[in-house]
Amino acid sequence: MNASPSHQPHPAEWTETQSLLPRVERDLPAGRHQFHKEQLMARIHEDLRTTTRPDPPKRRTNPFLRRTVLLPAAALALAGAVAGGFALSSGDPHGGRTALATGPALTTTVGAADAEGAPRLLDRISLAAADTTTPTPREGQYIYIESKVASTYTSSVGDTTSVVSEELHPRQVWNSLDGKDGWLIEPGQTGDEGVTLASEVVMSGAYDVLATLPTDPDALLRRIYRESDATRDHEVPRDQAAFVAIGDLLSESYPPAGVSAALYKAAAKIPGVVAVDDAVDATGRHGVAIAREDDTGERTEWIFDKKTLRFLGERVVVVKAVEDSPFEVGTVVFTSAITQRAVVDANKQVPGGAS
Amino acid sequence: MRVGDPDAFAELFDECARAVYNHAFRLTADWSAAKDVMATTFMEAWRRRDTVDAEGGTLRPWLLGIATNVARSHHRGDRRYRAAASAAAAAMEDVEDHAEATAGRVDDRRTLQATLTALSLLKRPEREVLTLCLHEGMAYAEAARVLGIPVGTVRSRLSRARGRLRRLTDAQLLREKREPTPANRQTQDDRGCAVRSAQEGNR
Repeated sequence: MNASPSHQPHPAEWTETQSLLPRVERDLPAGRHQFHKEQLMARIHEDLRTTTRPDPPKRRTNPFLRRTVLLPAAALALAGAVAGGFALSSGDPHGGRTALATGPALTTTVGAADAEGAPRLLDRISLAAADTTTPTPREGQYIYIESKVASTYTSSVGDTTSVVSEELHPRQVWNSLDGKDGWLIEPGQTGDEGVTLASEVVMSGAYDVLATLPTDPDALLRRIYRESDATRDHEVPRDQAAFVAIGDLLSESYPPAGVSAALYKAAAKIPGVVAVDDAVDATGRHGVAIAREDDTGERTEWIFDKKTLRFLGERVVVVKAVEDSPFEVGTVVFTSAITQRAVVDANKQVPGGAS
Repeated sequence: MRVGDPDAFAELFDECARAVYNHAFRLTADWSAAKDVMATTFMEAWRRRDTVDAEGGTLRPWLLGIATNVARSHHRGDRRYRAAASAAAAAMEDVEDHAEATAGRVDDRRTLQATLTALSLLKRPEREVLTLCLHEGMAYAEAARVLGIPVGTVRSRLSRARGRLRRLTDAQLLREKREPTPANRQTQDDRGCAVRSAQEGNR
């Protein structure tokens, strides 16, 4: 927490009042700074292009916008696409950007949830994870994750509000081991060349961070709650935030086998976690899922191959009708499928390329 | 800024979002409302960019003035502020029960609760000048300008706010949350205003 502001010192006499009215500051919840900044910038660019000032579009909170890595791309895409009325292709100020088509909202059959089966399934998933071989990257190398993703959002054109989904599109992410450097390419959301992920804020799923996590599930869970409590959006219930935090560490990252195994065991101890008998990842692969429903009727599902129990992807599904929400039960709010994980020698290097 | 340079606004957001968020929290006692106020403030700032002083200088006071106005729509009455403050304090207790908070976090929580308690005893106009002048370190004249009120009014509101807060020194609540009286503690007279005014003249 910051102490007093530096731009103007207080007269000494204010010390007394200050002792009564101390200064404690908080950071914005994780991801919110970037999210609101991008909403602002989307609005500004839209205003500059049209010189009219429409009301900002109302969109619902995408739980994935809290994530450090997903955030820049997703928020830009949603804010940009909605505010820009889908006019991303021509006259776009950023140039070199491939527009992303949208279509009817993605829907799915909601799988049956089984709370009692969750610990057993997670135990099996954990054992399978412990049994895999994961690479040990060398200093200077990058983690490369390729996935297919799509988001769903409400789109307002004139007085009409409808729910639309993006076409499924590839997403490529590079991250340095320390989590301070990286690159993201996601059509329609970053330009075709991509954007840098270089930041002083270390990504939560950075390899170096993962490699130093405790592998005792109880200690690990305590640490996850502690870190999540410090940064979570206070609108998000505590257990849900912890569950999502674990998902962030597991999905767009390449944790050592022992750490993955421990993360699954830790997840089994979070109240409200369920096993789901059937779930489909973004590329259509069916599997079983470990999931948790939040207080807004959305369920976050981690999808695993039925036989090998390998992590396939993650999605968020509306499982309960919410009054006044245009999202119907069965709507897939966000979906992703991991298609490749690799260690590469440099930022922006694709596996199998120069080595 | 006045001509609507997007980069300038991006920079302004990076510099001031946190400050606006915390300022909004002090005015609403509600983190969620503070987030909304923060987002609306920047949209408003963009819309009202032609009201920025042409001579330049820091835009922080201008922004905090807008935030103060935006925040007013979020608390309609002192009773509601007090309710929000109690709720925010209770939410902090709640986290405390479950988490293994470090000593530093416990301190921050207590300090924040003490701040909320103090602020909830003030009237909205007093709260506004106090947070601008004390927390944000604004000069009286600057606070007067961003709030659109005379300097004398800023001074009298502050004086009243400080008077109210001073009466709190004996309140059980604050006593148990503060460290023993610091050695450098000043005497309780009103020289603060005089010194402050002199300084204000230099700006």
